[in-house]
Amino acid sequence: MPKTASSLKKPIGLVLGLGALFFMPFLSLDGLSPSGHVALGIFVMAAVFWILEPIPIYATSMGVILAQVLLLSDQSLIAAWLDRAHEGGYTAPPYTLFYGTLSNPIIILFLGGFSLAAAAEKYALDQNLTRILLKPFGTRPVMVSLGVMMVTGVLSAFMSNTATTAMMMTVAIPIVGMVPKEDPFRRLVALSIPVGANIGGIATPIGTPPNAVALAALARQGTVVPFSTWMLMATPLVVVTMLLTWWGMCRMFKPQIERFELTINTTFDRSPKAIGCYVIFGLTVLLWVTEKLHGIPSGVVAFLPVVFLPAMGILDKKEIRGFSWEVLWLVAGGISMGLSLSQTGLANWMIGQVNWDGFGTLGLVVLFSLVGFTVANLVSHTVSATILVPVAIALVLPLADGDVTALIIPIAVIGIIVSYANILPISTPPNAIALSTGLIDSKDLAKSGLLVGLLGFIFSIFFGLVVWPYIL
Amino acid sequence: MQQKLYMLCVEDEADVLDVVVRELSVLEDVFPIETAGSADEAREALKRIEADGDALGLIFCDHMMPGENGVELLVWMQSQPQWKPSRKVLLTGQAGLDATVKAVNEAGLSHYIAKPWDQDELVRVAREQLSRYVAERKLNPLPYLKHLVMDIVGDTLRASSASDT
Repeated sequence: MPKTASSLKKPIGLVLGLGALFFMPFLSLDGLSPSGHVALGIFVMAAVFWILEPIPIYATSMGVILAQVLLLSDQSLIAAWLDRAHEGGYTAPPYTLFYGTLSNPIIILFLGGFSLAAAAEKYALDQNLTRILLKPFGTRPVMVSLGVMMVTGVLSAFMSNTATTAMMMTVAIPIVGMVPKEDPFRRLVALSIPVGANIGGIATPIGTPPNAVALAALARQGTVVPFSTWMLMATPLVVVTMLLTWWGMCRMFKPQIERFELTINTTFDRSPKAIGCYVIFGLTVLLWVTEKLHGIPSGVVAFLPVVFLPAMGILDKKEIRGFSWEVLWLVAGGISMGLSLSQTGLANWMIGQVNWDGFGTLGLVVLFSLVGFTVANLVSHTVSATILVPVAIALVLPLADGDVTALIIPIAVIGIIVSYANILPISTPPNAIALSTGLIDSKDLAKSGLLVGLLGFIFSIFFGLVVWPYIL
Repeated sequence: MQQKLYMLCVEDEADVLDVVVRELSVLEDVFPIETAGSADEAREALKRIEADGDALGLIFCDHMMPGENGVELLVWMQSQPQWKPSRKVLLTGQAGLDATVKAVNEAGLSHYIAKPWDQDELVRVAREQLSRYVAERKLNPLPYLKHLVMDIVGDTLRASSASDT
């Protein structure tokens, strides 16, 4: 049994992480401020905890905020020590700064997305949209698979990738399960869903948490990327990689049946509350994609559904309790960690440990993307982005030298490439769901995952170099 | 460690028990099967399942058996908090009206299969009942999904898989 390795993982993670937290401040690393040592302890603890998971990843994120409040803020328990250790005293940031990350506009943007998704699910808007959007794709099996992939992608751009996969699986599996076992079409469709969901999440800022990590890091540098700009950058990339993945997958899993009809038995709910849900959903998305025209930031627009859906009785407190609050903590913990990385000079010190001369922005992006891609296959995408983006931005900042485009592109590429890391069943929750249906095995996932990863990697960098400079 | 979800088959005639187990074996990769030849043996099997920290999703139980009969066993299970949620199926040719009424009213009977049963009926009923068990207990359906009925566990699947991380 490979049980020993996994049963040792937790205690090792716990000891390593806590060890780093306690002992880092006692080191004297050249060029790193005393508060930087404390921040390094928190950072290493967080990274170890996030990767080895002795405690849930969201609990680690909460712990990051707690550690920062207790150690680095104006409520610090070691304030006297920090003050003595710093020449000229230590200027502690207010503890509310760390708590405040939970109301960061990016967090509110996600909260708005959660509200819309919960309402869409409650009134079966997601299933009805699936039915309508699938229709034009007809009944040719390869086209059905394209339809499934594209529709999953569109929905997961606004709902969570995982929830979209679960919804698509519930409508598709009973019908696909009737196709003869030896027909690769079963696998083609069962793979189209997680592929569509994983890639589709890239398309909008609210599609998946790594986007938020990248956008929050940029916002901290004063560079706010509008919702519509992100979509203009990401959507063509999503479409291109999705089409090519579909093309490749149709060759790997060539359907044998001639005709396939994916019937979904739903009808539009026409009750006043359901109509209210459609209107608010449509209006919010419309305001988001037209951000550049009216100038109301997406984080402000996002608060409209948060207020109006419960106000009109479309969502009740049961559904509000059902939001993925842990995702908000996960992102907030990352934002909070980023604050101390820059404030204590830790990020700059880390960068100073390597000689980056001659790397250039492209080299940096490729290197960080490779690391991010690898890590994201093994652990959560958000964690991968959270660890890498704050360091990457500190590196890119001097190279960009005030040029906003040169700052946005590398960070967006790194933030996006982690979402293309879907080779293993554990890489993303949609993969785990697809595998558990029994229609595919992990070898199938690895095949489609490698294809997605390769295409995503190449085209993200290509878009960053060639296309995005014209959009920004 | 993932909690195992067992199926328990109770039947005093060895050759009938063999047939039941053989038919259900298509589900065995996900839902392990325990067998018992009498109510007493069934209690032993339940003790083993409980001692391992596992759960019983479903019991297929014959009625006419030497010693305690099937309905009495099911009624007893209904009085035990750990076996109350398990889905209970009578698989019998000879349960009279009184015994059947008792099974429905006092044992929370989930399903009744009359012998002889149709081909595939056993597997179909097992999948359906196990799906209801997973849905009612709000278990994460992923480990069992390949043998569950999507129409029954769809909402549970969606509720348990909301977030990206």
